[in-house]
Amino acid sequence: MIELTNVCRSFDNNRIVALDDVTLQIGKSERLAIVGPSGSGKSTLLNIICGLDQPTSGAVRFEGHPIESRTAWARIRAHQIGIVFQNFCLIPGLTARENVELAMLGQRLDSAARRKRALDLLDRLELAGRVNLLPAELSGGERQRVAIARALANEPDILVADEPTGSLDQKSSHLIMKTLSDLQASIALTLILVTHDQSVAAYCSRQIVMSDGRVASDTGRTAGGGSASDRAVVTDPP
Amino acid sequence: MNEFTLPIRNLLGQPTRSALTTLGVAVAVAGLIALTGLTQGLQNSYDRGIEETGADFIVSQRDAFSIFSSSVPASLGSILPKVDGVEAVSGTLLNFTSIDNDANIVIAGWPIGSYLWRNLRLLDGQIPEVTDPPGVVLGESIARALKKHVGDDVELQFKQHKIVGIASFGTSLNQNIAIVLLPSLQELLGRVGTVTLYQVKLARPLDAKRVASVGARLISAADGFAVNNTAEFVSNIRFFHIIQEFASAISIIVFGMALLAVANTLLMAVNERTYELGILGAIGWSPARIIRLILLESIMMSAIGGAVGVGLGIVAMNFVAKTNIAAGVLEPYVTLSIVTQALIAVMLIGPLGAFYPAWRAIRLKPAEALRAH
Repeated sequence: MIELTNVCRSFDNNRIVALDDVTLQIGKSERLAIVGPSGSGKSTLLNIICGLDQPTSGAVRFEGHPIESRTAWARIRAHQIGIVFQNFCLIPGLTARENVELAMLGQRLDSAARRKRALDLLDRLELAGRVNLLPAELSGGERQRVAIARALANEPDILVADEPTGSLDQKSSHLIMKTLSDLQASIALTLILVTHDQSVAAYCSRQIVMSDGRVASDTGRTAGGGSASDRAVVTDPP
Repeated sequence: MNEFTLPIRNLLGQPTRSALTTLGVAVAVAGLIALTGLTQGLQNSYDRGIEETGADFIVSQRDAFSIFSSSVPASLGSILPKVDGVEAVSGTLLNFTSIDNDANIVIAGWPIGSYLWRNLRLLDGQIPEVTDPPGVVLGESIARALKKHVGDDVELQFKQHKIVGIASFGTSLNQNIAIVLLPSLQELLGRVGTVTLYQVKLARPLDAKRVASVGARLISAADGFAVNNTAEFVSNIRFFHIIQEFASAISIIVFGMALLAVANTLLMAVNERTYELGILGAIGWSPARIIRLILLESIMMSAIGGAVGVGLGIVAMNFVAKTNIAAGVLEPYVTLSIVTQALIAVMLIGPLGAFYPAWRAIRLKPAEALRAH
């Protein structure tokens, strides 16, 4: 589904190399965790996977097609990739429902349909009574669930989450991971997580370990270069 | 919430900044409306004021800078009446002066026996005769404004005059005029033997062909002078061209300032909202949609500023026109064309001012915008 070939990303005139010759493929309905210590390049890799950033060199293909323009990436993010951020990235002046609706503004949905879908999603994420509250009025776990609802608003094929539990306590973290895990199982999403937390990574059947901008290990990589994810049995961590 | 209510909410999120920028746009529009309206009003006032006297053609100095600087020798007054098709000719001397050091008015000198005196609608008193001090007929508005009546004295061009009549006119210019006998004004202004212009009335009935043929004969008779039909006369005066260009130049400067205000506001908004714009990019808003959001904000500020500015401009124009200095000289003049011009200009400056901020907004990659937070 997503294929990175010899991707490099450097900053500050190549003085800082965040990604160094990364090649990987991510298949449909995979549950993938990108792990590694801080500064290992996992967030940069995630940004490149969903087109928030462009590689300095190398190629990114989505469903077999090379994607280069920002408009093309925007279209993909609008329809096929939902993103959940560590710090939620909700617009402070908009309510929970409006934040979810915001993602659907470019879709061919009228105002009533947008509202209904937003309310359905928030209801499904157990936020029915909080839809008219501003992000500042919600707890961290609630904000992250609003962000998940927004990421799912356009029924994406891929859900990408960058440290989704990084700002949450243990109880909220478990709830968020269970939510993501259930969603992935129920609607056959491709789930890509970035985390430094092994207990979160344990929710995923495939783990890529990043170190110094390189893929240090990939549990899903087979001898033939493909992914083992199709064979993986998805289970909740102990 | 939709793509139209979102920019409204963004603007309302920064009420003071949005209001001040909108006010800046409003002042620009008000300036354009007031300046254009007053300059066109001035021209219109002279246009209608001269037309009201019933003349069909005006003979004046060629290429005169202003109406008042035109000088035509009195000798032409004996040639023009002989032109076939001409019914009456009247020389007129015009000057701009103060009355009782209180207001600025136009003073006109009409010859004794001129057809212009016959057309005068006197409300009170009579036409002047040769007297000392000289008699003057005042327009109704200026007489009322100065609380003057027949028999009162007024100072015109540093000389006492006795009000002998009050006359009613249909135009603001003439309602504020002072009319004296031509020889008296010529002597007062040191312009004996000259007039400002000749007003030529053609014999009736008239049709376009006849007007054209008499016009051609007048041009031939008044060789070396400008012969215009009354409707064209004022628009050919260079002074009006210059003040219109002056007004346009000031309007362009004011609009340039408004453009910078809009650009500055939106640039600040874009800088402050880098993170939000990054979020929009991250959730799939295309660069085009983000540009549209910023453009809509600018268009909304411009539209509101434009509407407020039209009202402000009309109020300002009426205020200026009613001051003692301008009363009777500047006439408020608002047409659909002036308002349309102002609104078109303002609807251009909004998006133009938003262009750079919008470009800045989309230049940043979503990852960079989110990292900046």
